Order: sequence, then structure tokens, then C-alpha cells
Amino acid sequence: MANLLNLLISGLATGAIYALVAIGFTLLWQTSQTINFAQGEFVMMPAFFILAALHAGVPFWLSIIFGVLISLLLLGLVFKKALVDPMLKHGVLPIAIATMALSIGMKESVKEFFTAEAEPFPSLIPAGNVNIFGVEVSLQSIGVLVLAIVAVTALNLLLNRTSVGHQMQAAAQNPTVARIIGVPVERMILYTFLINAGLVALASVLITPIYLAKFSSGEVLGLAAFIAAIVGGFNQVRGAIVGGLLLGVIDNLGAAYISTQYRGAIPLFLLIVVILFRPQGLLGRAEERTV
Amino acid sequence: MTRVLEVSDLHKSFGGITAVDGVSFHVEQGEILGIIGPNGCGKSTLFNCILGQLKPSRGEVKLDGEVVTGLKPHEINRRGVSRTFQLLQVFPQLSVRENLILAGQEHQGGMLSRLVGPRDAGLGDVAEQMIGFFNLGHLADEMAGGLSYGQQKLLDAAMAFMGGPRLVLLDEPAGGVNLTMLADLKQRLAAINAEQGATFVVIEHNMDFVMSLCTRVLVLAEGRVLAEGTPAEVRADANVIAAYLGH
Repeated sequence: MANLLNLLISGLATGAIYALVAIGFTLLWQTSQTINFAQGEFVMMPAFFILAALHAGVPFWLSIIFGVLISLLLLGLVFKKALVDPMLKHGVLPIAIATMALSIGMKESVKEFFTAEAEPFPSLIPAGNVNIFGVEVSLQSIGVLVLAIVAVTALNLLLNRTSVGHQMQAAAQNPTVARIIGVPVERMILYTFLINAGLVALASVLITPIYLAKFSSGEVLGLAAFIAAIVGGFNQVRGAIVGGLLLGVIDNLGAAYISTQYRGAIPLFLLIVVILFRPQGLLGRAEERTV
Repeated sequence: MTRVLEVSDLHKSFGGITAVDGVSFHVEQGEILGIIGPNGCGKSTLFNCILGQLKPSRGEVKLDGEVVTGLKPHEINRRGVSRTFQLLQVFPQLSVRENLILAGQEHQGGMLSRLVGPRDAGLGDVAEQMIGFFNLGHLADEMAGGLSYGQQKLLDAAMAFMGGPRLVLLDEPAGGVNLTMLADLKQRLAAINAEQGATFVVIEHNMDFVMSLCTRVLVLAEGRVLAEGTPAEVRADANVIAAYLGH
């Protein structure tokens, strides 16, 4: 029982990180039909921005701020202006392929110019355990979970409780009418790219202490976020949250109770089942956008 | 009387096809002008040219005596002109109230003021009035995408009136709306026209709707003005009977 609780909490913690990455993924799709196959590498990169600052002797906190700012600039603004904007006119598929190329480029650059080895990464959250109902649970898991919940709640408040959030939704749901009534649609799309950059930077800071910083670490994460988004419902922020959490828990429980060897296969199995029986995802609705 | 809208010698061609071929007309303050004509006669293209969604190949559009040809849709919107759509155009995943508030906003101000400012942008009362006026009270908090087709048409119309527009262009407001809802819509439009002196241009296929709502009717055929006059005059026009009503 104690073991199960532990597995659940650490599964939820990993799942919350998947959810952060999956939310960004669906946001980009909703506002600009961008399927970002480099999303996993987007999580890998901020850790290396921070490590670069740390190696230059910058204090940890300042390095994090630096890493987040560089992420907003490169993974948000520059990504949109230099890659998405010019490619979007040519359709969804060219963007998807361009992001695949970007993902390879990012991995190889880190391997070439930084290191091919796994680098340790300091944690924001102190090590140790807390006692919950007589069970020792790692502080790391609890901290990750809390920070992810805070981020998702803040994002939800922004999207649903502020006027700029409604503008962003309007821009995503019906850009033609949004333009006519004067919503600055382009700026709203830029905001979602910045939000995505912020989300992946947060995910990076949370997950890298657990899995180490390595050029290839985005592969697993990108796949997990992609599966989480599809399982939850590709066109729903709520769906990405549910998909992420579910995937994290199933992944963890599967590894413990079924087979560690088949750990990597379990999410894919889940993906196949969902696509077969509920292709719009658990919370998704059939796509009403006509492309 | 002041001329709210004046269209002179408007042309629009797509490649070799001329959709609008030298159309001129005007709309007086407080008037309800109907535009009828067979499918493909250039009605919707005409609307899109007036509203800045298409650029006319030739000709001029004036609002309150000022040339607005070539302005962007939201700049024309800002000048007090709004429209409804032939095909439904609402924000499906926002509530009826949120749709209305979005439609009525100026959409200016920086990120910060939009973050901390009131969610309803000070338009809560106006939205509430509009909800009451169009009998959408029981649906105010429903997602717009979940409404029936007729209800979405009502919402679309209500959205067009949110900014207190001087001129509203309605593109087939009656299309696909059931009879009860239609009577409701017509009565609401007539009431807004009478109470607020709002000016309308209505494209419609439903003859009864046009003939009973409009004060003046313009008949288009093949991109040109075929006839113009009161509903009674137009109905008696031999050209019109041959081209359209006779069908």
C-alpha cells in the first residue's frame, strides 16, 4: 500500500511535467496549426541554457532566470518568426517536417558544441522525504507536483478569467471574425508561443534534476507529450492535463507491476487503444476546424 | 437625411469573372435597405467589398461622406459598421456572454491593462441588455457552439449590435432559421431600428422577410443593379419578375 502511494505520487509528478509540455503542444496547434515535433527538444534545451550560465560562474537562481529568458526569446519569439511564420503559408505538413528538422538540429548542436554525456543538474527542490499518512514520500515529487499545479492554474486563470485570455481563445477559435472585431490575432498567437516557451522551460527545470541533462533526453519527453495530448484530446488544454497525468501514473504503475522491460511500450499501447476506440481523445471533441 | 453609406460604381472581378459590375447605391440614416437577387449575383461579394474583407477592383465606398475603400475590416468596424454572417461565425468554446463582450470591445490597450482590467471590459451591462433583448437569457452561460442553429443566428445578430453600431450589414439572417425564431428575429431588428435609429442593409432570399422588414429594396442580377424601389414597386417591376420573382 505504501509502495502504491509512492508510485502514484511520483507517477503524478512525472505526469504533471508531461502535462505542461502537452499543454504547450496543444496551444500551438490551436492557435497556429503548428504541430511541433521539436517539443521534446524544447524541454531539453533550457536545461543546457542554464548549465551554460552555471559553467560561466553565474549563481543558480540567476542562471535559471537567464535560461527562462533565453528560452522565451529563442523557443518562443525566434521559433515563431524564423520558422513558423514563413512555413505556415505552405500548410500544416511543411511545418511538421520543419520542426522535425529543428529537433534533429537541436540535438546534434548540443552533442557537438556542449557535450554528448549526461550532465547532472541542480534541483530547485531540496532532497529528502516527507511523511504523508505514515508513508515516506519524496519531497522532489511533491514539489514538482505543486509547481506544476500552480503553473497550470495560473494558465487557466489567464485563459478563462482575463480579457486577454478571451482574446487568445477568440483568435484560436475563429481567427476571421476575431480579426474583424479588431482582436490583434498575430499578437495573440505570439503570446501562445511565449507561453509554450515558458511551459517547456518550467518542465525542463523540473524534470532535468531527475533524468539528467542529455542531448537525447527530449526524445522520450516529446513522445510522452505527444501521446498525452492525443490521449487527452488534441484540441483541449484540459485534455492535455488529464492525458499527461494518466500517462505518468500508468507508466509508473506499469513499470512496477507489469514489466520494466516493456515500460516504453505501455504508453504506445495506450495510444493505440485510444486511437482505435476514441480517436478524438478522452476529453476531446471531434475536430470542427476545417483545414 | 444623412447618407450613412454610399457605394459608387463598385467593381470586383476574380480573374476573368466579374462578380460585381458597377453597382451604385446609398443608404440613408435609419433606413432598412434590402438586397435581393439570385444566387451568384454578387450580393456577398458586395458586402465583403464594403467591409474591407475584399478590395474592390474599382469604385468607391463612403461612410458618412468619407471614403473608406481599402481600409482594413477592423478599421471599418471601428467606424461603427458591423456585420452578421451567412455562415455561422461565433466563438464556439466561449459562452454567449463572453462572445458578446468580445464583439463589443475596442481591443486596444496593452497586455497589462488587459490582464488586470475587468474581464467584461466594462461591457457586462450592455451584454446583459443584449441578452435580454434577443431572448438569450436562459443561454447566457452556455457555450456558443452548443446552441441550435437558430439560436446561434440570434447570437450572431446580437454580437453585431454590441458596439452600438451605426450601420449593420446582415448577410442572410433568415437562412435556415425556423419560423418562430424568424418572427422573433424580424421583430427584434425592427425594434432596434425604431428605438436606436440603427441603419441596416439586409441580404436575404426569404421574400416575405425582406418585403415586410425593408423600406427600400435593391435587386441585383449578374453583378448589376436591376431595379430599386419600395417593396411594392420592386414586386411590380417587369424586369424583376422576369429575372427573379418569376422563378
